[in-house]
Amino acid sequence: MNIFLHELRAYRKSTIIWSLSLVVVIALFMSFYASFAKDAEEFTRLLANYPEAVRKAFGINLDNFFSILGFYSYPLSFITLCGAIQAMNLGTGIVSKEVREKTADFLLTKPVTRTQILTAKLLAALVSLVITFVVYFVAASITALQVKTDDFSMKTFFLLSLSLLFIQLIFLAVGMIVSVIIPKIKSVLTVSLATVFAFYFVGMLSATSGDEAKRYLSPFKYFDSSYIMEHTSFEASYLITGLGIVVAAILASYFIFVKKDIHAV
Amino acid sequence: MNVIEIKNLTKSYGKSRGITDISFTVEEGEIFGFIGPNGAGKSTTIRTLLSLIYPTSGSAMIFGKDCIQFAQEIKREIGYLPSEVFYYDNMKVKDLLNYSASFYKKDCRKRIKELAEIMDLDLNKKIDDLSLGNKKKVGIVQGLLHEPKLIILDEPTSGLDPLMQQKFFDLLEAENKKGATILFSSHILSEVQRLCNRVAIIKEGKIVAVEKISTLQENNYKKFKLQTKSPLPNDYFQQAGTHNLIVNGNVTSFMFRGDLNHIVKKIAELDIANLWIEEPDLEEIFMHYYEKEA
Repeated sequence: MNIFLHELRAYRKSTIIWSLSLVVVIALFMSFYASFAKDAEEFTRLLANYPEAVRKAFGINLDNFFSILGFYSYPLSFITLCGAIQAMNLGTGIVSKEVREKTADFLLTKPVTRTQILTAKLLAALVSLVITFVVYFVAASITALQVKTDDFSMKTFFLLSLSLLFIQLIFLAVGMIVSVIIPKIKSVLTVSLATVFAFYFVGMLSATSGDEAKRYLSPFKYFDSSYIMEHTSFEASYLITGLGIVVAAILASYFIFVKKDIHAV
Repeated sequence: MNVIEIKNLTKSYGKSRGITDISFTVEEGEIFGFIGPNGAGKSTTIRTLLSLIYPTSGSAMIFGKDCIQFAQEIKREIGYLPSEVFYYDNMKVKDLLNYSASFYKKDCRKRIKELAEIMDLDLNKKIDDLSLGNKKKVGIVQGLLHEPKLIILDEPTSGLDPLMQQKFFDLLEAENKKGATILFSSHILSEVQRLCNRVAIIKEGKIVAVEKISTLQENNYKKFKLQTKSPLPNDYFQQAGTHNLIVNGNVTSFMFRGDLNHIVKKIAELDIANLWIEEPDLEEIFMHYYEKEA
């Protein structure tokens, strides 16, 4: 419990900054909705001139782009990108931060097992993400309700937003496994930015090809906004894949970390 | 009772680093020195005891329990001070010590205050702002605040000024009197000589000797230095038991172990100007262990 609280305190600043940044981005973007909706027809014509591949890469769907949900799904892809970076940072920092800052000796010579340490740190990271999500979702809902021109399904809106948290969980787990495998990570940010952007671009490319199987390559494509809007649910196969990645990465991290030699730096 | 019992402990890293077949025991109430040059394997051994790294083969027991299997239980009674201390920078000294104390199921507040007073440590400063020596003090208080039964110190004195070093040694001796066993690793012989009862000497990953400090000092080595009127032949004192023979003009020096009469007789035949016969300090004795075999 003491490790959990200590970690949570350590994450406090970053949680606040990330939450506020996401809130600012979504509020700013949603505030454009009113003017977009007014000139919807003109925009549709304009966007129709772009090649289809470009539209797909950016997740623009002309059929629903000007409904508030369709409009919302566009900034959401940037929000999830930011969220993924936050989550990957947290995940990668779980072990590598202790090793880099040489505090591993402090923690690991205390009467706690490595499993307890990892669990406490993972839970703290998780709580930080959930807090970020809740703050973001509340702010996003408020702005959406402010700018809406028609009624929309709150459930769909919630599910769309929830893809942020799910993608964050995947990247938290990926970051964690990276941090226990790579012996010494000099800069968490470099590793996490590189990984997150790599997956993001893989996701964009796979979207242009239209090949369903390629969507499995990038967690960013697991939660397709058009599908969610149409069915008010996630695609089960991708949800399961995401869950599988999270569980496998976390279990593997535990397994490796418990056996790992912690060297003096 | 043996507090630490190391049996054939081996840790290999592929290359030359690591430790090979290390065995020694530390008895309850001892201050046990663990000495060797940098990179000899002191830290590797200690990190294995603390289950920070896992042995390739062999085992170690602490308080009669396997140090890997019962790591959590054992660590309740261990205080550890690493050679380099780095703590969560953005914390205050007080917060870090309280965090450290929160791992032990006892109230350490009084002890923290006492220790901080002895070590002259400001509890309200940020760790980030502390000098190396002061960070070291945080490490010392952190390692001792739960009154552990076994104190493991890995080159603890670096960065401490002589006055603080003295206070720190007094503190360790006081803990030892209260019943704590101490494992003290160092490459500085004088501090080991000053503090320890017994010592294990490690070289290139192997234990070369485990001796009582008193035995080491009492060993029959004598340090001879003599000044003669004219230079001596280089091999005048060369015989079994002579080490480090140096002839430098009229001054000849060497170490000798064996029947002193042989040497005294040889000296009696000389026309000498001056003569010194001294106990060698540990450093000189240890040089034998340190010197690489040619």
